[in-house]
Amino acid sequence: MSATQLALTLLFTPLVSAALIGVFFRRQPAIAKAISLTAAVAIAALASLLIFRTEDFTVTAEWLTIGPLTIKLGFLLDPLSKLLLAVVALVGLLVHVFSLGYMSHEENQARFFGCLSLFMFSMTGLTLADDLIMLFIFWELVGLSSFLLINFYFEKPAAVAASKKAFIVNRIGDFGFLIGIILAYWTFGSITLADIAVKIGADPSVIATSIGLLIFCGAVGKSGQLPLHVWLPDAMEGPTPVSALIHAATMVAAGIFLLCRVSVLMSADALNIILWIGTGTALFAGFVALGQRDLKRILAYSTISQLGFMVAAFALGSLVALQSGASVSLAGLTGGVAAAMFHLTTHAFFKALLFLGSGSILHGTHHEGDIYRLGGLAKKMPLTFATFTIGTLALIGCPFLAGFYSKDAILILAYQYSQPVFFCLLLGAFLTAFYMTRLWTTAFLGKARSEGAEHAHEGGPLLVVPLAVLAVGSLFAGYAWFYPEALRDVPEAALHLLHGEGHSAAMIGGTAAFVVGSALGFLLYRPGSATDFLQTRLPVVYQVLEKRLYIDAAYDWYVAKVQQRLALVLNYVDRIGIAGIGVRGIMGGGSGMISLAARALHTGSLHTYVYWFLGGVVLLWAIVTGVL
Amino acid sequence: MIFPFDPLLLAIVAPLAAALLLIAPLPERVVKAIAALGFLVPAVLGFLTWWHYGANLDAGTGYAFRTVYDTGLRDALGISLHLGLNGISMPMFLMSGVVGLAAGLYALQTKAERLRFYLGLLLVMQGGLMGVFASVDIFFFYFFHEFALIATFLMVGLWGGKDRSYAAMNMTIYLTLGAMLSLLGFILIYIKSGAESFDLIVLRHEIAQQGLSGVAQNYAFGLLMIGLGILVSLFPFHTWAPLGYGAAPSSVSMLHAGVLKKFGLYGLVQIAVPLLPAGSAAWAPALAWLALGNIVILGLVAMAQRDLKQMVGYGSVMHVGYGFLGVACLNALGAGGVVLFMVAHGLSVSLLFLLTTSIYHRTGTFDMDDMGGLVKKAPVLAAFFLTAILASIGLPGPGLLNFWGELTIFMATYEHFGWLVVPALLGVVISAIYGLRAMGKVFYGQPSAAFLKHQESNVVTDLRWNERIPALLLILTLVGFGVWPRTLSEPLNKTLGEVYPASAAAVQK
Repeated sequence: MSATQLALTLLFTPLVSAALIGVFFRRQPAIAKAISLTAAVAIAALASLLIFRTEDFTVTAEWLTIGPLTIKLGFLLDPLSKLLLAVVALVGLLVHVFSLGYMSHEENQARFFGCLSLFMFSMTGLTLADDLIMLFIFWELVGLSSFLLINFYFEKPAAVAASKKAFIVNRIGDFGFLIGIILAYWTFGSITLADIAVKIGADPSVIATSIGLLIFCGAVGKSGQLPLHVWLPDAMEGPTPVSALIHAATMVAAGIFLLCRVSVLMSADALNIILWIGTGTALFAGFVALGQRDLKRILAYSTISQLGFMVAAFALGSLVALQSGASVSLAGLTGGVAAAMFHLTTHAFFKALLFLGSGSILHGTHHEGDIYRLGGLAKKMPLTFATFTIGTLALIGCPFLAGFYSKDAILILAYQYSQPVFFCLLLGAFLTAFYMTRLWTTAFLGKARSEGAEHAHEGGPLLVVPLAVLAVGSLFAGYAWFYPEALRDVPEAALHLLHGEGHSAAMIGGTAAFVVGSALGFLLYRPGSATDFLQTRLPVVYQVLEKRLYIDAAYDWYVAKVQQRLALVLNYVDRIGIAGIGVRGIMGGGSGMISLAARALHTGSLHTYVYWFLGGVVLLWAIVTGVL
Repeated sequence: MIFPFDPLLLAIVAPLAAALLLIAPLPERVVKAIAALGFLVPAVLGFLTWWHYGANLDAGTGYAFRTVYDTGLRDALGISLHLGLNGISMPMFLMSGVVGLAAGLYALQTKAERLRFYLGLLLVMQGGLMGVFASVDIFFFYFFHEFALIATFLMVGLWGGKDRSYAAMNMTIYLTLGAMLSLLGFILIYIKSGAESFDLIVLRHEIAQQGLSGVAQNYAFGLLMIGLGILVSLFPFHTWAPLGYGAAPSSVSMLHAGVLKKFGLYGLVQIAVPLLPAGSAAWAPALAWLALGNIVILGLVAMAQRDLKQMVGYGSVMHVGYGFLGVACLNALGAGGVVLFMVAHGLSVSLLFLLTTSIYHRTGTFDMDDMGGLVKKAPVLAAFFLTAILASIGLPGPGLLNFWGELTIFMATYEHFGWLVVPALLGVVISAIYGLRAMGKVFYGQPSAAFLKHQESNVVTDLRWNERIPALLLILTLVGFGVWPRTLSEPLNKTLGEVYPASAAAVQK
């Protein structure tokens, strides 16, 4: 099988699975599960063949030509897509296995697994895309799969609202993305990434800040950056395995992947703006996480914050590369791309682990998600506790675990480029340790504070095995030896950064953030406490954080009070103004003839219409012959 | 394949012959079979002409399947029944056949009173539609449109729903006015060209040789833009449309909003812009601004609708703004986008109207506040409706063809008008908002009190097969051409290359 055929088979396997389930097995959950799981295994196998047995390649085919517009679609397999493909295939498979156990008591399992397959199709296509349009097509399709899975519980109004919000907010980002693509086409004469890179390589002056920023809009939407982050916490209404796969490990990371893909067309100005949006998001979400009580929502804000780190990493590394005058090429891994993709990879392991761990908790406590109603889970769910602890330590940057190294690379880049950003990101790292310690002590230590937590129990092996696999990744994904040869480019490039200028400052700062953050968390959030420290001591601050700095409220206000009212006013104007006074006025007052005709036609009689028609024909005849 | 008959003439005559046959007092089963055949033939021929288009293409004229029938008016008036397809009309001819078949199949299962008469008029409409896109002669192009239009008026007036007589009257006045203005425009071209022929090929040739005076072009394009604009519900001449679609029986809404309305956009792309380069250049900025009125203002109005059918109507009217925007770019890129967009819009809008009526049959109302939770009872209907909504908002996947059309139009808009593309793209967000809101209100959440009450006395079933088949026909056609648009875009691009550079040169002259 040629590489192209292999890629096509990989791409269409999950689509076939989704179609089979959708068309034939909607009412046979057992068969649907089997098909979907088989597809996930096949994806893993085919992806391995692509990763380990296939040279990097690119292939394009002309898809649509109209006038001067030529759209070519195709595949691009390189270290970046190989790494993301590995993450998608591995986490996807683990989530499938976990879901077999987690969803076993649910209705509509066939729909769940069908949508999961649809997501795998979309995400694979996104990963392998070689051009902006193919990226955009699958970008929209992952959005669709995400919509379908968030509103899996579609009787719940909150789930319906959340899915709608996710789709529309993403669409706002895509609005910018699409303008960016259009500009890119007219600027570079192609939407194929390789062509764009060649064009820029030949003449760097064609780079325009606007294009980079507009394409970044897409990433802002999908990767939950300020101010379009509002959909991601709400998306936790979806089943927890979905939160792990889509809203933590893969889809939300697609924005980072997109940035890395288009890194060649970023100007320094664009990168500076991207840098501050990423840094701001990392800080903002870290603070807001302190004001949340729901297990999954805290993790969602944590994801937003970590995505902010990745965005900042990309911008920092690219800026450092620009300063040192590195040459532009699609294949070259700049420090920014390496650091961002490396953090994406380690984050995929520990965040998927944390989400699946919280799924295990929800499963064991009959959906008790409020951390202040949990407690004492360490004894009742030892395996979940152990793996969750590993995930937490990896996330908060405990030395020698995965997150420590990937965060360190980012901090070093920040140190090299800008002191303010360096300190902001240190604060972000401190907040990460602080809010995760709060979550960990409150949920796992002390005594059970609710019926659900009292009767907590481990799920079966289907739930535990994926946790164990991800825990291994969270422990060791920070080391280059952990990765197979074919995937080692990115981690090695990122780890290479650790020897750069400022490495000791970053290492000391990062370790200090971890130590101080978790120690302070231990001191302030006492195990077993049923109340929140901030809430009792600083209620005003807590409320602001709980209300997420009122950003969501501002959106709600805009939608209800501005947008909907504008729509209603325009509707009124349209009905009364244009249709009523305008048209009837002109017709009635201006021309008696037409109003007469109107009344005549009002009869609805067949003859009238036919006479009108004949009259028209005769009129035509008269005019034409008159001229002749 | 060389056909042993003229496929275009057969596609026009078959539905009309079926309509004539229905006059005979036949048992209902036979009536339905004849009607089904009458709808099937144009669709099959649509696919056949698409498949064999390249092999039958005549390089000299740029048309395939060309035949001229003398009507006895050629010498006196320069009118003859000249049929043929080029790259612009072939996709439209195909789409028209497919939507016609879907609308016909859907009509067969309705419980309309005087079904025989209803089917007959629908067949007349279908014959007219096939004629519109098969005509090379402008007179017959116009004539077939009127033919279909009169059937439309009658059906809205006789079988319409709420406010049908007012809607029918409103529609008739507007559309008659629009048709008259565009007729004046066509006649002006005819007179001023000196070609003494309504034949588009002759006119094109003649005008390329002689050129038209700037004044004549301005008048003619103005008449055509306003006249055809009214027919396609260009802002602010759109008010007949949501009202009319709200009242019209579903098959009529499908055929009118999906196909017949495209007469105007098609006329602009195929005839007005290439023949009147100077006139269209003068009017294009105004047209672009009015198109933005469709996209932004009517998009917001669609958001305010509580009535599902009105919302679909406004949504359809909103989206034709993209078509006008593409026309206003005056080049092959914009025009190509418009043709792809028209095919996609025709298929997706007719699908939406079809499913909207199916929803109505289950909820007993169009008021979205009185629905909710329908997905539990009708999951297939929900899946189809979601597909239709996503297609109409141009989401790649179900709406890949819509996406290609819109993307091409946006590309052309940026090239021609620069940043005007930004407000135009707002439609991408606006349509997602009203589309998903409708999805949520109708299908998701808990059933409303009114819907629960309705369920007490009515059994709510999922989509039946006689509703699924027409819907599937539309979905599969839409997705198929979306995934593989080249079979439409290659002939289209070839024709555009022949028709549009000439006009570009003329502008410079």
